Amino acid sequence: MKVKDAEYSLLFKILAYVMVTIVTLVCLFPVLLIISGSFTDNESIVRHGFGLIPDKFSLDGYMYVFKYPTAILRAYGVTILTTVVGTALGMFFITMAGFVLQRKDFKYRNQFSFYIYFTTLFGGGLVPWYIMLTRYMKLMDTYTVLIYPGLMTPFLIILMRSFIKSAIPDELVESAKIDGANDFRIYYSIVLRLSMPGIATVGLFLALQYWNDWFMSSLFINDTRKYQLQFYLYNIINTVQFIRDMAISSGVNIGNPPTEAMRMAMSVVVTGPIVFLYPFVQRYFVKGLTIGAVKG
Amino acid sequence: MKRNVKLIAALLAMMLILLTGCMGGGKPDSGGSGGGADNGGGGASGRTSASGLDISQRVELQFYMLGDAPVDLPLIESEINKMLLEDLNATVKFNFTTWTDWEQKYRLLLTSGQPVDLIFTAEWTQYQAYAKNGAFLALDDLLPKVAPKLYEFVPQEMWDAVRIDGKIQTVPAIWKEYVTFGNVWREDLRQKYNLPIPDSIENIEAYLEGIKQNEPDMIPLAANALFHTPGYYDFKYEPAGVASYGFPYGLYIPYDDPANVQQFWGSEQHLEDLLRMKSWMDKGYMSRNVLTTQDTAHTMLVTGKSALMMGDNPNRWNSTNQDMKSTHPDWELAYYPYPLKKGYATPVHPIHNGFAIPISSPNPERALAFYELMVTDKRYNWLTQYGIEGTHFRVTEEGYYEGLSDTFKREGMNGWAWRNPEYMLFDESFEAVNEIFHELDQIAKPDIFTGFAEDWTPYQAERAALEQVRQQYLHPLEVGLVDDVEAGLRTFMEKAKEAGLDTIQKSYTEQWLHYLKEAGIQ
Amino acid sequence: MTRRKGFWHEVRKNKIMFLMLLPTLLFFFINSYVPMVGIYFAFTRYNFADGLFGSPFVGFENFRFLWQSGKLMQLTLNTIGYNLAFIVLGHALAIICAILLSEIGAKFFKKLAQSIMFLPYFVSFVLINVIAYNLLNYDTGFINSLLVRWGMEKLDFYSIPWIWVFLIIFFYLWKYLGYYAVIYLAVITGISDEYFEAAKIDGANIFQRIWYITVPMLRPTFIILLLFSLGSIMKGQFELFYQLVGNNGLLFNATDILDTYVYRSIKVTFDIGMATAAGLYQSLFGFVLIMTVNAIIRRVNEDYALF
Repeated sequence: MKVKDAEYSLLFKILAYVMVTIVTLVCLFPVLLIISGSFTDNESIVRHGFGLIPDKFSLDGYMYVFKYPTAILRAYGVTILTTVVGTALGMFFITMAGFVLQRKDFKYRNQFSFYIYFTTLFGGGLVPWYIMLTRYMKLMDTYTVLIYPGLMTPFLIILMRSFIKSAIPDELVESAKIDGANDFRIYYSIVLRLSMPGIATVGLFLALQYWNDWFMSSLFINDTRKYQLQFYLYNIINTVQFIRDMAISSGVNIGNPPTEAMRMAMSVVVTGPIVFLYPFVQRYFVKGLTIGAVKG
Repeated sequence: MKRNVKLIAALLAMMLILLTGCMGGGKPDSGGSGGGADNGGGGASGRTSASGLDISQRVELQFYMLGDAPVDLPLIESEINKMLLEDLNATVKFNFTTWTDWEQKYRLLLTSGQPVDLIFTAEWTQYQAYAKNGAFLALDDLLPKVAPKLYEFVPQEMWDAVRIDGKIQTVPAIWKEYVTFGNVWREDLRQKYNLPIPDSIENIEAYLEGIKQNEPDMIPLAANALFHTPGYYDFKYEPAGVASYGFPYGLYIPYDDPANVQQFWGSEQHLEDLLRMKSWMDKGYMSRNVLTTQDTAHTMLVTGKSALMMGDNPNRWNSTNQDMKSTHPDWELAYYPYPLKKGYATPVHPIHNGFAIPISSPNPERALAFYELMVTDKRYNWLTQYGIEGTHFRVTEEGYYEGLSDTFKREGMNGWAWRNPEYMLFDESFEAVNEIFHELDQIAKPDIFTGFAEDWTPYQAERAALEQVRQQYLHPLEVGLVDDVEAGLRTFMEKAKEAGLDTIQKSYTEQWLHYLKEAGIQ
Repeated sequence: MTRRKGFWHEVRKNKIMFLMLLPTLLFFFINSYVPMVGIYFAFTRYNFADGLFGSPFVGFENFRFLWQSGKLMQLTLNTIGYNLAFIVLGHALAIICAILLSEIGAKFFKKLAQSIMFLPYFVSFVLINVIAYNLLNYDTGFINSLLVRWGMEKLDFYSIPWIWVFLIIFFYLWKYLGYYAVIYLAVITGISDEYFEAAKIDGANIFQRIWYITVPMLRPTFIILLLFSLGSIMKGQFELFYQLVGNNGLLFNATDILDTYVYRSIKVTFDIGMATAAGLYQSLFGFVLIMTVNAIIRRVNEDYALF
């Protein structure tokens, strides 16, 4: 038996390494193309496409991005601010909600879960929401509008609920209550510590949502100093699209469109740092501390 | 489950009651704004402007333009505001929509009733439809009262040309330019291989063939379905409108005989044209992936990937040429304007660049007075068109514009609408374009098409369906990607009829003929 | 409704828990429920003079464009078909990858692989389109250059509709594999080692350990994610389709979904009625589907249900 198990394990390990390597390479390849493209001379991109190694090396793309460094730096500032504040605040609310919703002794948990989930099914559309934010809450051109609407999504709340449910045994909560702790105290000292993998995961997704957001800038921000980072990228891309599609019918001439190389360079600059968030967060994916006290 | 649904229903009912109370027809708040207006606390009471406008209360105007803001916008804005405070006791905030989702943003700005004081309009921003639907303020009474200089400055024909339902709803730009189409080609290559000038269909084909033979790496025609198709049709026929709209819903309206509306889609001529497009594709004049290509035609010419573009206007040809010469000084792009072949040229319609005041504006009089300053006052005009003299530009001895900094380029605020021909400065290279304009002036005739405001609400659903059919069945035909052209055309016509083509054409023709009679055209 | 009386009793009993939930409830009320009044617009024809609530009521007129073209059935099928493929394949692959990753011992390799697998999530669909075009285009595409070098005929990918079914699914998986794998990996990491030790002692080999311990532990998460995906089955992934297919009419029959169809239809108008009507259709569809599936799951195991 033992021998068989060792064989199987070996077979499995080989299988695992091979498959993971293949998947990793497939995931990596297009990203390498983008990086390589960002260092390529634009004319060669248009005429020959781009490859893993730049056909004709050029830093033009990056020079364009860094022509007005203050703009990019400010966008970094704005994005970092909204990401940090939004994630911290959002996680606070999400973890509380997740904890409450999985408590079996919370009688209305299903109704409230439905209440939250229902919002993903039906919506009134863009216009009423836009009106509310601009005319009634007067959030045009504010930092608040970049943070507030993204604080919670039903997906993350329900996900958090599942994580907490599987990480925190009910008996633990009960015994803590017997010891006299109130719900918030339990949440604070026990739940937050034990659900680390779950919190890390949801936190990561929330942070990414903020980092990648450009939509709020597009609709609500006119002040260029408050643009988010991704919005810069989208603007470049959309300017080109506008010229490509509307140039003839609008007869508009807005000069030289940004080039392919510029777009690639901008994506690298805009995405770059956040890629390192995930490895950083990985250390929190540790096995939950099993409480010996629960057994038996 | 029932409990849940009842709960939700109760919540929704509560909300509805709350909101119908609050919203009350969607009227804007009076005198305030959604972005930090400075109300009260300005100047002595009883202040009036030069034209007698009451300006005792300071306001902040919200100005919206399309495209990207120039880097030095804050600088210009503060200079303008210094003057504006004195002149009208107001400040202005310049907002740009960028090109990201601009149509959606434009729509939201108008439909949400947000306080917007001035906004750009053009036929390609659907001015006619918005105006017909009541999005803008009628300016007829306001103009002589609040902006008399502006009212006189713009010729009466132009005011009349922008009337929708009899009311003036936008302030047109008066600089006469031509955005008519033309062929742009590589003159250096043409001479090198001794090819004819592409000024007729046969010569175009000969030129393309010549390029194909001699430069196998190039894709001769810079095209995608939105590019070369309008160019080709405009070149071959004489439609009343700008070629991309020149065949509205497949109807051909000849310029010289506009009441004679003909069915073009599905006709013998249509088939002929589509067969020719197929031959162009088969011979390799266009990229096989023409429908998805990422490149703009401009890029394809500048990088030397293509050698001919159909459907460019003189102004853009000139800048493409300048752009190309900066990386390839020995290359040359030449231009042949289609009007020369057709015998008449239509200058830009007044609707093409305009500024309107949405009905939600809290300060329409001040807004209009401000716009008058933008157009007629040289200080305002030069600041917003060229920047600060000495920092961003200077005027050469010959009176040309010379740019000094990228932080504010010429017309850096996309000021197409508030150009003032008396104050305009041009780049030296623009002389080439002026020459073409002079040529076209000789054969100028009015644009009879753009003033028509189509009301598509009766056939809205059919129109949406037809657009789908067009993209799916007609575009591939138009770029020659369908093997059996005849069958393809038949399929398209069938699908189009299913989508309601006949209904649309009938209603459109009625509206068009009515417009012709009202406007007194023929 | 005697339960209602019990509600306030419940609140008093569990004051703190309600307080903890309150911000969330308020948030959704303001952000989602209040704007829901907009559903009304699906039934009006907007004009500026009358504003949003004064515009005339036109019944189902705004829905007409959906069935006018006769494409509604095909669009619905396409949308559901693709989404089912996304859900089934996406989760299956993500689970497999997560399991494989969790068994890999070499720490550095594991971390590296995880990070790289997550990279595609950062790449916006606009860029994916640029890359796809670069790989697949007829004239200068990477793949076609390879084919030519090996002496084969070039392939015109953009004219072959059925290939795109696979390509779209491939790009979806490429982008989201890492994302879902992270979720499953987090769950796996939380499984107590004791279970595995006990199983080993009992003589289970590695395949058995995975099948009998890991997989069942993932089931609740999978079901939750599944329910979520089902609710949006009629929407979803607009960017993916729109960017990859663009205006290429040749591919529409195979690749058009409801969202892209609607987007193209209303691009040329400013009418919010039609857009809202389409959204309503999608919502109702998802709603019915979810209620049914959730009820079924509830009957099997109450813990797994969404609500």
